[in-house]
Amino acid sequence: MAPAGLDPTLTTAALAALEAALNRALALDPAGQRQLAGLAGRTFAIECTSPVVHVYLQPGAERTRLLGYYDGPVTTRVRGSAADFAQLAGASDPAATLINGNLVLQGDSAPLIELQGIIGRLDLDWEAPLVNVLGDVAGHQLAQFLRAGFSAGTAASSSLLRQLEEFIHEEARLTPPRLEVEDFYGDVQALQQRVERLQSRLERLRKRIRSAGQ
Amino acid sequence: MSDKRTTHFGYREVDEDAKAGLVANVFHSVAGRYDLMNDLMSGGIHRIWKRFTIELSAVRTGQSVLDIAGGTGDLAAKFADIVGPTGRVVLADINESMLNVGRDKLLDHGYQGNLEFVQADAQYLPFPDDSFDCVSIAFGLRNVTDKALALRSMLRVLKPGGRLLVLEFSKPVNPLLEKAYDGYSFRVLPFMGRLVAGDSDSYQYLAESIRMHPDQDTLLGMLEDAGFVNCEYHNLTGGVVALHRGFKA
Ligand SMILES: C[S@@+](CC[C@H](N)C(=O)[O-])C[C@H]1O[C@@H](n2cnc3c(N)ncnc32)[C@H](O)[C@@H]1O
Repeated sequence: MAPAGLDPTLTTAALAALEAALNRALALDPAGQRQLAGLAGRTFAIECTSPVVHVYLQPGAERTRLLGYYDGPVTTRVRGSAADFAQLAGASDPAATLINGNLVLQGDSAPLIELQGIIGRLDLDWEAPLVNVLGDVAGHQLAQFLRAGFSAGTAASSSLLRQLEEFIHEEARLTPPRLEVEDFYGDVQALQQRVERLQSRLERLRKRIRSAGQ
Repeated sequence: MSDKRTTHFGYREVDEDAKAGLVANVFHSVAGRYDLMNDLMSGGIHRIWKRFTIELSAVRTGQSVLDIAGGTGDLAAKFADIVGPTGRVVLADINESMLNVGRDKLLDHGYQGNLEFVQADAQYLPFPDDSFDCVSIAFGLRNVTDKALALRSMLRVLKPGGRLLVLEFSKPVNPLLEKAYDGYSFRVLPFMGRLVAGDSDSYQYLAESIRMHPDQDTLLGMLEDAGFVNCEYHNLTGGVVALHRGFKA
């Protein structure tokens, strides 16, 4: 997930949060976990061209990893716009849509369809972890996008996609976001004042102890 | 003019031999509380920076990795998970106390078999040429006296095609952020260091060494001068930290 210019700290944090949520959901679904373990050793690349979001998914026997940056061999690569992914999610026959739709597929399609099935069945809240990391607005939008990709029946609206795109451009322009910096600056000043107060209190205490000892 | 070679120890000028000893003292004194301080200092965000480092390493099952200045072993543990039983991870640190804390922690967490612990100086790595697929150094290069020497030593032990990752404090791109960060690292850190680790001098040194460290483009040039190719860097958290990467041709 590396839109040009977006601070990798943000996207990495979002993926870390999602990965944790995904693995928590898998822990509650032993059958899904077993099935996913059968796909261990593969790397799936999910590349959205508009907006630009790349996510790499690596199933493992114990843990499934989500990466935003990966340059090793990929088993299955699927590329398209968010609208193309939404079409796949809403399709009654995902396999046919994969082959006949607008998505560009490279590599093995069978494991990809299996993966989509496993994740689509999970009771997974994409939203809470993203909201925590990205703040309410952006997190909600990104979660909708991901939900559209994995759960049948939910299609991302075009206004949602437009908002997401705007968010990414906005973020890319301001690195780091000005608001965040100002908040941080305020926090630091407050912390400094508290440190100074604490220091003078310590000093006073020390004096009192010293005079009590005499 | 004296011909004794001097170097920076924080903002103080000291001679080169003395620096290694002073750095060792800093880390001996904080080793036990290092993880806690690390979390407090960066609000836990160092975990995200390290995660990004792992992603850019592209390390795979069966590969061999050297983590220099590995300290208490965060990166080494992640690498050991990824390379698996057929791979090899070496955690190297110049400081025995840090290495011991790291070893105890990782063995406690069940790591063994593919993980080795070696006391070594980044400038003189005790490994044969072409040994590793990946070499990493996180928050360690700024403590090294002769950085050019260390970078050449890292290049030597890498296999051709292997990659070096340097994660280090750098220069914030936004002046307001830089100012805030200075306030934080010079006034808040040493004080927290005294409360938590009982040692404010060490954290004063850490804050100063962050400021003395080469900025993004200077470090990029140093990687190139050492012989790395396809060098690049990524600013993290607005340049508070940067991740540099270079390859051995
Ligand atoms: C700030 S800690 C970083 C630890 C760990 N990599 C992390 O990111 O949490 C710096 C470490 O560098 C080690 N160090 C300092 N100078 C070194 C040198 N010349 N060679 C190897 N390690 C060194 C210290 O002992 C210390 O453990």
